[in-house]
This record gives sequence, structure tokens and C-alpha cells, in this order.
Amino acid sequence: MKSYVLGEFTEEAALVAAARSLREQGWAGLDAHSPVPVHGIDEALGLERSVVPLIALIGALTGTVAGIAMQWWMNAVDYPINVGGRALVSPPTWVPIAFETTVALAALSIVFGLFALGGFPRLHHPVFEVEGFRTASVDGFWLSAEVEPARAEAAAEALRKAGARNVSRVDDEEGT
Amino acid sequence: MAMSEAAAKVDKLDVLEPVPVLVGRPGDREINDQLFQPVWTQTRRTWLALFAICVSLAGLLFLAIAYTVATGIGVWGNNVPVGWAFDIINFVWWIGIGHAGTLISAILLLFQQKWRTSINRFAEAMTLFAVMQALIFPALHTGRPWFDFWLFPYPSTLALWPNFKSPLMWDVFAVNTYFLVSLLFWYVGLLPDLAALRDTSKSRTARIAYGIFALGWRGSARLWRHYRIAYLLLAGISTPLVLSVHTIVSFDFAVSVLPGWHTTIFPPYFVAGAIFSGFAMVLTLVIPARKAFGFENVITGKHLENMAKVMLATGMMVSYGYLMEHFHAWYGGNRFEFDTFFKTRMFGPYAPVYWTMIACNVITPHIFWWKKARTSLWVLWIASILVNVGMWTERFIIIVTSLHRDYLPSSWAQYTPTWVDWSIYAGTIGMFGTLFLLFLRFVPSVSASEVKELRRELEHEAHAPAAGHG
Repeated sequence: MKSYVLGEFTEEAALVAAARSLREQGWAGLDAHSPVPVHGIDEALGLERSVVPLIALIGALTGTVAGIAMQWWMNAVDYPINVGGRALVSPPTWVPIAFETTVALAALSIVFGLFALGGFPRLHHPVFEVEGFRTASVDGFWLSAEVEPARAEAAAEALRKAGARNVSRVDDEEGT
Repeated sequence: MAMSEAAAKVDKLDVLEPVPVLVGRPGDREINDQLFQPVWTQTRRTWLALFAICVSLAGLLFLAIAYTVATGIGVWGNNVPVGWAFDIINFVWWIGIGHAGTLISAILLLFQQKWRTSINRFAEAMTLFAVMQALIFPALHTGRPWFDFWLFPYPSTLALWPNFKSPLMWDVFAVNTYFLVSLLFWYVGLLPDLAALRDTSKSRTARIAYGIFALGWRGSARLWRHYRIAYLLLAGISTPLVLSVHTIVSFDFAVSVLPGWHTTIFPPYFVAGAIFSGFAMVLTLVIPARKAFGFENVITGKHLENMAKVMLATGMMVSYGYLMEHFHAWYGGNRFEFDTFFKTRMFGPYAPVYWTMIACNVITPHIFWWKKARTSLWVLWIASILVNVGMWTERFIIIVTSLHRDYLPSSWAQYTPTWVDWSIYAGTIGMFGTLFLLFLRFVPSVSASEVKELRRELEHEAHAPAAGHG
């Protein structure tokens, strides 16, 4: 079983400061929730660089190779199509389709990579149990900590000290 | 009464001050309340009336398609030698319209143009729905649309593969990729607002429905970090994509040997034309919508003026394309090219269409040299309609005039569209309108999360005014 402790801030700066302070106190499993990306939160939470560019690059290269290989194998090897005696292996004519497969696979890997990183679709999450959390997509800036139930009260206290209001606790019985 | 307040704020602006991209500095909740208002309020009568008209036209589309499929494409006006007509004209027209959406959402994002923020979702939706209409035409144009899946490389029992050296196949890949990427880009951009819709919904049904589409978005900092880079990368790959799509569409023509179809300027000239017509369509749609929703404070005169400037610039690029085509035809010394450009098009049976094209595409945009024209809603709206018409006639001229007089006079013929052609065309406009009205009703047409970010950027700039100039 896990517990989630949440607290709301009205200002982005306060959220960043609180995130930094809680992390420095040694709290792990911290996350921030905001309607817009918050400047400086990555450093405050100690988040590393996103892996999305790497995923995109792999997707794009796969698309290029697959696009070229497909056209070469289908039109020159498996079913050679002789168009007016022109060369079967003619890379310039492959460029448009190879470009499109590159873009298509890059886009698909970016988006589905993003979904995978977010654990999407996940329609229910313990933090949604908190009614006030609805503001996280409108104008509220929330800090959450995923902790052992025994330490939940201490985490709530730390959040309150950092200036959070609406501090709430959710116990997730099924575990995550 | 957010509407009148917003309008009042806009009216109070000093005429000598530059028009801002966002009037006032509304708070986060205010932004949400205003932009989500069209979703949460009762359906309006005007909306219902427009919807009824569009749905009827869309019904006509389905009837005309059913008739075409059941009878064969002989019910169209296409003949020999005019084998391409409304099907390809409308395909190119719709695809072109889509291009402005990608330009606004992707290219202007990379260039950090702040004025893109309030109109990007609008324009992306337009792209998506325009590409859907475009896809209908080549699908029917094959003649036996139930075999369209042959265009895809799948291991068939016939044991053969499509010919990838054909521009037809390039088109299949380009247009489908374009649709896919536009859809993904639009949807990813919608996620934060879908979550906000879920969280501000009053009814359980709305909460569940928007909740499903929001996929469980929690605005997590861990995800925002991936999201921002993903969005930027999508913009990055959409940029060459949008240029490639109309380039490939122009290859459909340029790879053939018909007079009037193979000047080397075709790809850039097609792309410029696409953006030109797309911006016109954005204006056609955005001017009434911002008025109806009272969004004048987020889609300000600045946006409209900038779009008018883009139309002026791309309009001149298109004019340059026309000029070069004619120059090549004369300078190239090819008799057939010369006749196509200087006789058939200018003075042939379709000359009125040609001169309409010149009037709409070459002359109309020059009105935007005047600030008065760029700031007058009526001038903007009428000019945008004229450009839409002009770009349609351009495709008509390119396709029909080149085909109906090729090399041998014995194969010349006239082309006249039939009622089925017109019904399908009008039907796609209805279908487009239907989808667009549904979009306006169920999704915030201006991105609340991006406007919130925009406000922060503007505030940041106001605190450090020197940073913006370099």
C-alpha cells in the first residue's frame, strides 16, 4: 500500500521553492502538478533530461530504413517492376516515400512514447480522489509525495510547513 | 457576460498603441472560464441553424458518393482527354487549405511567433478536417474505391506490390502521413485542455467523456518535461512534412509531360499557393467565430493583421509563380507550352476562369498594403473568400486547360462538370462545416493552457523589456 500526500500552492514560485525544500529534506516520490509547465521545476525536483528526443530519433531512423528497404525489396527483388527499362534500383525515386515513412514513424514514436512515459491511458489515479485537485488543470499548483503510509503524516506536515494549503492524504489500497 | 466585457476592453485600446496579442492580463481561471464558455453553455440557435445547413450538405455528399460508386465515375463530367477534373481540383484545393494550419502550429512555433498561440488550435482543426475532405477525392477517383486498399503495400494473394516509382504512391504516403501527423499533433496539444474540461465539468457524463480523452492527464511535472519536448519535436517534423506534401502533390503534375504542368517552379509555387489559400480559410472561419464567442481579446486585431500580411506575401509568391510559368513558356520556345499559356488559358473557352484567378489571386491580396484594409473585418473576410475562390480556379485552370488542349487537335474536347461533381464538392464543404461546428461546440477552440503560458511570457517580457530586442 502507498499513500499520496498532496498540497496546493497559489504561486508557481512557491511551488518551486517547496519542491526544492522537500527534496532537500530527503523526501522522495515527489511530483508537481500544474496547468502550465512551471519554470524551474525540473531542477527543483531533480528531473533528468527527457528521453523523448532519443525515442524520436530511433523512430525516425527506423522509418527511413524501413521506407527504403520496403521499396527496394518490393519493387526490385520480390516483384521487379520494369518501367520502360529504367533501373530497378533507383534511389532518387525512393526519396519521397522514405521521407514520409520517416516522419510518420517519428511522429508515432514521439506520441506513443510520450503516452508510455506518462503511463497513459490511466483514467484513474489516487490523486484524483482529492476533490480540490481539480484545480491542478486550471489555476492550482500542486505538490504530491508518494510515501509509505507510516510517513504520510510527516510528509503532510512538511508540506504545510512549506506553505501548502488544502493538504490532503489519499491511501491507495490496491498499490501502484 | 464575458463577451461584452472582452469587447469593451478591446474598444478601450489606444489607437496609437500597437495592438497586443492578448488584451489585458487575465488570470488562469479567467482564461479557462472565457475559453471554455462555448463548451459549457447551452447550444445556441445560430449554431443549430448552421449545423442543420452543413449536415444537409453532408447528406448530399453521401448521396452523391453512393450514386457515383453504384453507377461508376461516368456520372462525372470527366472525359477523354480531361481525365482529371473536379476530383483532383478539389483534392488539391482541400489539401492546400490544410497547409496553413500546420504552418501556424508548427513553423510559427519554431520561429517563436507569439501570435500563433491563440489561433493554432483553430487552424489545426481546420487542417485535419480539410485533409479528411481531400482524402475523399482520390479515393473515389480510382473508379473502383472498394479496391483502394490495393494502394497499400500489404502481402496480398495476388503476390504483387504497388509501383513506388509512381507519384500516385507518393501521394498516398504523403497525404496519409500528413493526416496522421496532423491528428497526433492536434490531439497532443489538446491533452491539457481536455484534462481541464474534465476537471471543470459539471455533469458526470461530461466528466467521464472528457476524462477518457484526457487519458489521465495530471499536469505532472515529470510528464510536462517530456510533453514540451515532444510538442516541439512534432512541430519540427511537421515543418518539412508540410512542405513535402504539396511538393509531392505538385509532382503528380510535374512528372507528366503535359503542356503547362512541368515547370520546375511547381513545388515551391504549389506550397506558396497552399499557404496562401490556407490563411484565407483561417480568416474566413476565425472572423465569424471570434465574434460569436466574444474572443476579441485573445484573437486580436494583431492576429488578423498578421494573417493578412502572410496572405500578401504568399499571394505575391503565387503571382511570381504565374509570372515564371509564363516566362518559361515563352523563353523555352516550346510551341505547345506557349499556346497553353498565351492562347488557351488567356483566351480559350475557360478564359473567364483564368481572369477570375488573376483577379482573385494576383490583385486581391494587394489591398493588404493598406493598414485600413488589414484592420477592417469586412475587407478581410471578403478578401479571404475571394482568395479561396481564386485558389480553386487556379487548380481548375492548371488541370482542365492543360488537359483539354494537349498536343493533337483531334483529341481536344470540352469539359463541363455535372450535378454530381457539384454535389460532391458542395458536400465536402458541408462535411467540413459539420466537423468544424462540432469542434467549436465540444472543444475549446483556443488553447487555454497555451494562452496561460502566453500571458506568463508577456508578463516576463514586460519585466525585462530590453530582452526582446536584439
